[in-house]
Amino acid sequence: MKYSFYPGCSMEATAQANLKSIEAVASALDIQLEEIPDWNCCGATVVSGVVGDFIQQVMTGRNLAIAEPKGQDVVVGCSSCYLSLAVTNKRFKEDEHFRALANQALAEGGLKYDGTLRVRQFLEVVINDVGFDKVARRVKRPLKGLKVAGYVGCQTVRAIPYEFDDPEYPVLMDRLMEALGATATEFPMKARCCGSSQTIPATDIVIDCARKIFDSAAAGGAQVIVTPCPMCQLNLDAYQQRVNQLHGTSFNMPVLFFTQLMAIAFDLAPDAQALKYNIVSPYEALATYGASK
Amino acid sequence: MEQNNKPVKYDLTFAREIYSLENGSYIKQCMQCGMCAISCATREIMDYSPRQLFNLIKLGKKDEVLQANTMWHCTSCCTCKARCPRGVPLVDVMHDLKKYAIENGYADYPQAAFYKAFWSEVAGRGKVFEGGVTGRYYLIRGLDEVKKAMDMKDVGINMLKHGRLPLLPPKKVKGMGNLKKIIRKAQELQRKEAR
Repeated sequence: MKYSFYPGCSMEATAQANLKSIEAVASALDIQLEEIPDWNCCGATVVSGVVGDFIQQVMTGRNLAIAEPKGQDVVVGCSSCYLSLAVTNKRFKEDEHFRALANQALAEGGLKYDGTLRVRQFLEVVINDVGFDKVARRVKRPLKGLKVAGYVGCQTVRAIPYEFDDPEYPVLMDRLMEALGATATEFPMKARCCGSSQTIPATDIVIDCARKIFDSAAAGGAQVIVTPCPMCQLNLDAYQQRVNQLHGTSFNMPVLFFTQLMAIAFDLAPDAQALKYNIVSPYEALATYGASK
Repeated sequence: MEQNNKPVKYDLTFAREIYSLENGSYIKQCMQCGMCAISCATREIMDYSPRQLFNLIKLGKKDEVLQANTMWHCTSCCTCKARCPRGVPLVDVMHDLKKYAIENGYADYPQAAFYKAFWSEVAGRGKVFEGGVTGRYYLIRGLDEVKKAMDMKDVGINMLKHGRLPLLPPKKVKGMGNLKKIIRKAQELQRKEAR
């Protein structure tokens, strides 16, 4: 199985654990990811708010235009990048007027995008193209007894609602965790917002959102939280101590990319598990499952 | 009080201007049901819920709309957009309102500074370096904000310790020259379309 791969900016900085675990898990499942050459920033949820949707979508379209000649599905690892790429792709496919205008701009760089590709998330590819059975067969160290809160977040299921899971109460990542041998816990806040990029300009928003998410995960008895999203992971991991300080709580909830947990269950090397990047230490909760430094 | 007997006059200039933005005409589809308000992750700290903001636009209340924190507190979680029974893409409408607010000099919110910092980073490098965005943000916001940030230094130190904050930026996009040409052309086309 071969795909074009769009990593996105965060994978080179705050979410290196995401990139490392995605690459290792992909290779363990015979998924070939070919990075889109010289990709540029997708604009995330921000650029449109300064220069408008059209500019952001043209910029994002450059990546799709570079990927188009290969004809492979474009796989995205970051939820925010996915939102931008998937919505842009949909517009190229469905809005002829937009496509013509956007291609006039892309032509300045010798590019053109006809809207023929599919944009997908790594999580969805693992679920639909690999499948739960094959994942379960690859497991070397089942995560038996581990209680996992599957924090899907916002954009994964609401960029294009009903594309692959329920936008209000998604369940497929839970099934994936069960394929690893873990127990998915009740978690009503699993698709609620973490505060997103308010981290820098309005940290209080993130602290408030994170508190509610920890409360919900803890009430369900979770030992760890997993997520596909770099922004969610960063907010819940880096600001957990801050939540405790400001709210007098004592959460000690490791927050992992779902691919890190897959790497552990697949018994992949420490570099693939990439746990050294986790700020809330995951070693204690995962000691019996072979989590390694 | 004589003036109370006069009919209320609506100035539609502002509303028409907003409707002409990329996603602006969707505002006309709003039926004031409030689904966005109950769905919103940050509604409690918004000056007006999206529903109320749309009504103010219809009423031509330019200052109230552009001074509101509503669009700046939107986290793009897409809950309202997914739920809106009239199919209003609220997140995208909020993009337009942010852009319009910045262009018309209503850019005092810290989020506006963050957005501008992010865009400078993308426009200059083709990619986002988080250290660069943060630096540019504090340059725009000034010393007071830096003092506030010092309260947060433990968060930053923890991130550094765990290799989450590279000190050097990633390599620029190789085709940066072409990307700039593409963006310039797109901006030219955007202006033409808006006419």
